[in-house]
Amino acid sequence: MAAPPPDPQFVLRGTSAAVHALHFSCGGQEPDVPILFSGSENGLINVWNLKTRRVDKALDGHGRKSVCWVETMDGKDRLLSQGRDQRICLWDLAEGRTSVMDSVFTESVGFCRCSLLKVAQGRWLMAMAAKALDEVQVLELPSKTSVCTLKPEAGAKLGMPMCLKLWQINCDSQPLLLSGYEDGSVVLWNLSMGKVLSQLFCHQEPVMSLDFDSEKAKGISGSSEKVLSIWSLNEQQNLQVHTTHRLVNAGISDITIRPDKKILATAGWDHRIRVFGWKKLKPLAVLDYHTATVHCVSFSDHKNPSERLLAAGSKDHRISIWSIYTQT
Amino acid sequence: MAVFATPREAFGALRPACVRLTQAQTAENVALLRARLAAVGAAALQELQEYVLFPLRLALASPGPRRERLAQSAARGLAAVLGATRLRGPELLRELLAELCACLAPGTGPPPAPAPAAAPASEELKLAVVEALHALIHSADGDVILSLYQPPALHLLGFAVSLLLGLAERERAKQVKISALKCLQALVLRCECQQHRRLREDEEQQCGDSFASFLPGVSLALSRVITADIKQGHGTTVAAIRVFYRVVGLVMADEQLARIPENKEKPSVEQSGVSKLAVHRGPDWSKNTAEKLSLLLRKIVERSSVHSHWKVRLELVELVHHLVRNCRQSLVDSFTHLLKALVGLVNDENSEVQSRCNEVLQHIAEQQLVAHNRALADVLSENLHSLATALPRLMNSQDDTGKFATLSLLLGYLKLLGPKVNIVLNSASHLQRLSKALMQVLELDVTDVKIVEDRRWGSGSGYEGSLQHGVQKGRCQKKYFRFFTEEKVFQLLQQICRVLGYYGNLYLLVDHFMGLYSESAMYRKQAAMVLNELIAGAAGVGVDVLQEREVSLDVDDIKGSITSILDEYTDQANWYLVTSIDAEETSHELSVNHSGLAALPGAACGSVLPSPDPRVTTRTMNSNIWQICIQLEGVGCFAAVLGKEFRLLLLSALYPVLEKAGDKTLLISETAMGTLVDICEACSYDSVQCLINENSDYLVNGISLNLRHLAHQPHASQVLDTMLRHSDASLLPLVEDVIQDVLLTLDQLYDHQASTFLGVLYSLMAALVKWFGPSCSEEHRRRQAAERQSGTLAQVQPAITRQEVEQFFLDYVRQKQVAEGNLSDSGDEEADEVPPVAKPEPSNSDTEGETPLPSHAQLAKDVMERCIHLLSDRNLRVRLKVLDVLELCVTVLHPHGNHLLPMAHRVWPALVTRLISDDPLAVLRAFKVLCTLAQTCGDFLRQRFSKDILPKLTSSLLSQAPASARAGPVYNHTLAFKLQLAVLQGLGSLCEKLDMGESDLNKVADACLIYLSAKQPMKLQEAAQSVFLHLMHVDPDSTWLLLNEVCCPHLYEPPHTSLQPVKLHGMGKQRNEFTDNVLLLLEKLQQQESSVLQAGTQEASPA
Repeated sequence: MAAPPPDPQFVLRGTSAAVHALHFSCGGQEPDVPILFSGSENGLINVWNLKTRRVDKALDGHGRKSVCWVETMDGKDRLLSQGRDQRICLWDLAEGRTSVMDSVFTESVGFCRCSLLKVAQGRWLMAMAAKALDEVQVLELPSKTSVCTLKPEAGAKLGMPMCLKLWQINCDSQPLLLSGYEDGSVVLWNLSMGKVLSQLFCHQEPVMSLDFDSEKAKGISGSSEKVLSIWSLNEQQNLQVHTTHRLVNAGISDITIRPDKKILATAGWDHRIRVFGWKKLKPLAVLDYHTATVHCVSFSDHKNPSERLLAAGSKDHRISIWSIYTQT
Repeated sequence: MAVFATPREAFGALRPACVRLTQAQTAENVALLRARLAAVGAAALQELQEYVLFPLRLALASPGPRRERLAQSAARGLAAVLGATRLRGPELLRELLAELCACLAPGTGPPPAPAPAAAPASEELKLAVVEALHALIHSADGDVILSLYQPPALHLLGFAVSLLLGLAERERAKQVKISALKCLQALVLRCECQQHRRLREDEEQQCGDSFASFLPGVSLALSRVITADIKQGHGTTVAAIRVFYRVVGLVMADEQLARIPENKEKPSVEQSGVSKLAVHRGPDWSKNTAEKLSLLLRKIVERSSVHSHWKVRLELVELVHHLVRNCRQSLVDSFTHLLKALVGLVNDENSEVQSRCNEVLQHIAEQQLVAHNRALADVLSENLHSLATALPRLMNSQDDTGKFATLSLLLGYLKLLGPKVNIVLNSASHLQRLSKALMQVLELDVTDVKIVEDRRWGSGSGYEGSLQHGVQKGRCQKKYFRFFTEEKVFQLLQQICRVLGYYGNLYLLVDHFMGLYSESAMYRKQAAMVLNELIAGAAGVGVDVLQEREVSLDVDDIKGSITSILDEYTDQANWYLVTSIDAEETSHELSVNHSGLAALPGAACGSVLPSPDPRVTTRTMNSNIWQICIQLEGVGCFAAVLGKEFRLLLLSALYPVLEKAGDKTLLISETAMGTLVDICEACSYDSVQCLINENSDYLVNGISLNLRHLAHQPHASQVLDTMLRHSDASLLPLVEDVIQDVLLTLDQLYDHQASTFLGVLYSLMAALVKWFGPSCSEEHRRRQAAERQSGTLAQVQPAITRQEVEQFFLDYVRQKQVAEGNLSDSGDEEADEVPPVAKPEPSNSDTEGETPLPSHAQLAKDVMERCIHLLSDRNLRVRLKVLDVLELCVTVLHPHGNHLLPMAHRVWPALVTRLISDDPLAVLRAFKVLCTLAQTCGDFLRQRFSKDILPKLTSSLLSQAPASARAGPVYNHTLAFKLQLAVLQGLGSLCEKLDMGESDLNKVADACLIYLSAKQPMKLQEAAQSVFLHLMHVDPDSTWLLLNEVCCPHLYEPPHTSLQPVKLHGMGKQRNEFTDNVLLLLEKLQQQESSVLQAGTQEASPA
């Protein structure tokens, strides 16, 4: 009999709105305190000090519209946030500043979260849903120049992009984009040619979230149904279903593989966070704390493995912080 | 006044007297000379010094029967001359010395023909001679006096010394003894007067050499004097001590000894005779001497440190000071005793001794004598070790004063060691001894049962009271120790620990005592106490030390230690201890339905993690309580140490403290409150409330997480309870979230944990009533009072004026006409105008229903929802508690009628059951709830009450009445009686509140009437009276009629013959069982009516 699932290490309260996005920034040196960014439905981005477990700053830049994605660019001083006001803001947080340096107007009305990839020092690529319903646009940051626009072939009827993941095999290789669509398919795009490399129809329902492990060339996606789908990419750049995992309750709103690729966590509509071993998708734990849908899960990037945390944000306005499987 | 200033004049004046004295040595002549001398100036006298001295010396040495007085007088004369002049010739000095000595020691001295009678010279003479000697030594110039210390003069010096010692030792007269000692001191050139020039080093050395020869004799004799009978007076002892250390300090001075060559110099030939007397102060000699001196010193120290006169003890301090300063190497072996004496005197009862002692210690520390002198540190640590070894034994055997002395000694050693204390601590055996000794000494007395029995009667009446505690300054609880009772002993121990913490290696100490803490439950409390003090000491809080430590401690180090100690303290095994047997009660309570009276609040100490041993003794619980208290005090102390830095630790520390603040054991909750106040101060929060509010996120987090575990739920609810108790309305938005959690948890566990949560719900509702209630209820009360006032007035006023009676009849007639169809047009129009005024008024209730409830009311509603379910709990206690909570809910929801009424509707069935078929206690409380409910929803309840409850109540009252009328005094203790009483007590006010209809009132009156019988128990009669008093308020007329039907004291004559005579049933009846009570009630009714009447007329009269 396995040990009962643990309690959250602590719970962050005070967002006073449903939490939609989380991002850790714990990589700093000693005097820097570990930080968690959270984006909530009321348009605020809270900067949590994980040492005092309190909000250090609250950033208001999305006109009270829900914030659905937050990501840092090199440390905790530059923050990207995407809001439902169709803007992506670049924040300058250095030395206590809280100003928006730059912003991009996406013109997309969907829920699709952006994806960011660092391709070189001081150069990033960001994929985001574009104005046309089924298009994805890739920008280079910080110059904001458009790299390409990925438009499915006419008649493909993929629907809107639901989730994006930019990745590359190693630093020099060509960046690729995985995107999940409304019709339940996952598509691998070649950015330079702007065309589909492979398409995999793996869900009956829209793909809500996906994550990809470039080392194992294996990815996982979840949708609003009771299935997690694991697929892999073979040498010919073809996506193929590896296996599926049935869930008890339907609905996965977020999937994240831990940076060390050992475990992954899913955020469920059934209020629970599920933890799996990444290798065989062995169910490890069901973390039950929230009283409403869990919107997002995120792993910390702390240098010390024992202090790597898992955070989950939920509709019940709380962010639960868990310390699990830090030894493995 | 020098009359004769020049030598010539002086000579003229002195000559006759001198000549006369030379011719005839009589006391008178000496006196004459002395009188003349007084008039001669010092300068002039200097010239004539030898001339004047001659006759005096002659007189001194002269034989004869009256020699005694003569010699005495001559000695005085000599002293006078010498006091005014300087002696310039070494020869003269030696001669005078010899002659004076001879006077003191007749028989051995030069005077050839000693008178037999003079053998024991008189005290006056001795005194005079000693003083002359003193003057002689003082008058000698530096070089001159030094000649005395040349080897050739050694025998003379020795003679003088031995004489003086003899006097000091054997003489009876105190004055002589002291003078002799003073003289001796002068002879050693160590007197305090300023006239001497400072000796050069080589001269000092020479003196030292000379006196080395006499050291054995001098020291022995002096030590005898010092340790002699106390009757000799303190002056002598003080003087002797002073001479002793002067001599020893001179001879054994490190400076001098260091200069002594290894081997003895070859004495020059001409000195060889006397040089046999001289001593060579080589290493061997000094070692030997030091050993012997050590014995003497020990005796002296032992004797004088307990001397009853403080000046002696003060002098002892000086002795130590002097020797430590001058002979720290030569006399190192004696330091054990010397330092012991010094350290022991630090806490002397005399403040002067104390302060001097501190100064000396300070000096020793400042010089870093110990720090730079390994030997001394060794001595001290050796002392410390042996003391620590003996400590437990001493603590067992000594009385409090003895213990105090012993511990002072320990403290003193530690202080003296200063930073060197680490040498001691680094030795495992030393540390072991010391810590074990502390553990033993600090053992608490845990036999007091009261500690365990004292409960905080939390949720009930104590609600307001406990808020007051927050104001109190947090200070330590008085502890009771097994081995001592005096507070100052404890303070010493505290100081010892703090000094340890101040100087010692904190990591080492904390580690060691943490080891002891976890080693055995026996040591746990003491170790915690020590740890608390160590930390305080390490931070330099309240430490009294002699020297600064070398490296001031890093805050991070302290923080690290504190964090680890805190972790240990708040570990489940050390924090959740069994402190009361309630724990068992609650667990049994689930199966056994208690029907006892005991309304224990909530019984909140649920099952704790370390499963409680079924046979927990009072002693264990007491011990556990103390352990928790000490740990709590520790938290407070840590906060004080860290100040604002502690804010970070609040994350983990605040929750456990609040947990304990809600503990049922009085001592624990008080201590925890103290800790909270300490934390407030340390972290600079304005108040406990502020502390709680600003850190509510941490607390809420803890509560919410702990609610997830059955075992921790009671603690979590305690924390919430405490938060609510000590905060205000501003807390509500912060905890709303977690209150919902509590309710959710409760929903899952109705069966088991209900009583736990009811405590919280009660506190919550009580807090809500306090925060939001009073204004509303006050308003309500005012309104109610006003209503009643106007109501009664309305009833009464028509009776006052005839016009109104007339008007009433006119109206009545008109109404009747209207009813019969005889309408008059004019009246119609008036009637039409009235209704439209009322119509446009917006109905309040509609809007209220739509607006969202304020959060507190919403909470009250949620809680009330739960109460509905819990009202029928199997456990009486739970039911009682629920009824209490329900009442508060109703109070809070009072202003929101639209929400209250549906809830009341739902509560009703369960409440009815409580009212008609439950334990009397529950009935009583249910009545209270009913009354509260009645205040708001009277109309709503009236119908239901008369339908559901009233019949049952009246019938039970009626059926029980015969039984209670027959019963004896024992009946008062039966349940039936209590039930009757409860109903009768509640019924009256209920009728009034519900504004019941006439038929119901009649029912009530009928049922209660039989209880007015004198046969009923007194209490029931009184309760029944109360019912009627209430009825009088509602309907005075019918009550009057009813009562008069039973018994009518007056005859009522109709005012006019056309009216029918008044006939009442009670008229003319015999006195019966009801008479007394009815008469009493009628009288009260009369009073009430007349007072209302008065009020009415007063109000009416201006109009």
